[in-house]
Amino acid sequence: MSAGAAPAVDGALPRPATKRRAPRRTSTATLILYALAVGAGLGLSSAYLLVRRDFPIGGVRAGPWVAWPRVGSREADPYARAIVARRGEVPLGVGEGLAFTAATDSAGQPLTATCEYRIGSVTPPARYWTLTLYDQTGRPALGDLGRAGFTSGEIMREADGRFAITLARDPAPGNWLRQPAAGPVRLVLRLYDTPVAAGSAALDAASLPAIERGVCAP
Amino acid sequence: MSESARFVLATLCGLVIAGMVHLSAVLAMPWLSENDAFSRLAGTLSADRAQIVAAPATGETWLPQPDPNLAISACAYNLADGPVRIATRTGRLFQSLSFHARGAGVFYAVTDRAAIRGSLDLVVMTRRQLDEILAREDEEDPSRDVRIVAPSSEGFAVVRVLATTPSQRQEAEEVARSVACTIDPLPGAPRR
Repeated sequence: MSAGAAPAVDGALPRPATKRRAPRRTSTATLILYALAVGAGLGLSSAYLLVRRDFPIGGVRAGPWVAWPRVGSREADPYARAIVARRGEVPLGVGEGLAFTAATDSAGQPLTATCEYRIGSVTPPARYWTLTLYDQTGRPALGDLGRAGFTSGEIMREADGRFAITLARDPAPGNWLRQPAAGPVRLVLRLYDTPVAAGSAALDAASLPAIERGVCAP
Repeated sequence: MSESARFVLATLCGLVIAGMVHLSAVLAMPWLSENDAFSRLAGTLSADRAQIVAAPATGETWLPQPDPNLAISACAYNLADGPVRIATRTGRLFQSLSFHARGAGVFYAVTDRAAIRGSLDLVVMTRRQLDEILAREDEEDPSRDVRIVAPSSEGFAVVRVLATTPSQRQEAEEVARSVACTIDPLPGAPRR
């Protein structure tokens, strides 16, 4: 009895089991939809994440400063073009000048409004330069005094042509820039009409102003 | 094919599609963006004067991280209507002029060092318009225009004027405001 029933059970059970499993097998249409969803999701999100950040390719670093000379030329890469379009930026052409951005001090610590900094004392060769402090919204930190930076024409220099800028919340003698109340800050040094942009002048940390951190508010 | 192999294959296809979507999204962004400089300047396409984009005195501008010492004016152009002449007078203030193609970035830039007798005067045109002008030009009396070939027919010109001290800001803004962008008709019969 038991010997006769066993084959019957063995023979009967697997067949309904495979029949039942067949509809559970993922259909080709579902897999295609899945592949399309993965493609659209990953593709769009990775593109979005990349263009929200700084230019990924072609950065020239010198100490805390970084510049992207190719963004202002015909050789700008597609990411740079996409980022420029997204920000609504009008980049400086290589024939016009070059902008250096610093988000950290010379030691690599992020620039913040609660610290005091000393910036100096040389700039690369250029006909004119401007140095501007930006608050966390990307606007010039004009404050109540209406001053967010210095130009080569108005800065006070030592007898040897060197200069020092003090970045602090409280007034300081000499070239003083007032820090905004809070948040991370950025410095942009723009060189106008400079051989540096075309790559014909050497760039190293010593040819750009150093950013030294002083006292920090607790 | 086993269930897991099909799943892996579908995931690999998804990754390949992701790569293509990523590339096309990045390449299309300059053309689809509604906040880019060309879209914002589209209203100046038919204007004869450049529009002030940033004024150092007021500080109001849509440019991200603007240099507060610069007066910036710009005008958009469409070369389908003919070559465009950009003329600005130069003085004691630093001035630079750059040409940007829509979606392709800067294709030409000069400073006031290139000015002749106190004015910067450049004509931007397509390759075809240049060929046409050269074909019709009098060889005995060649034009002295500075001609620039644009990579595409749409774009904009930007003039930057630097005020190194606050007292120069008014003057810088006036210089930027006086930039002229006019359509330079082709010699002979009009094309359109």
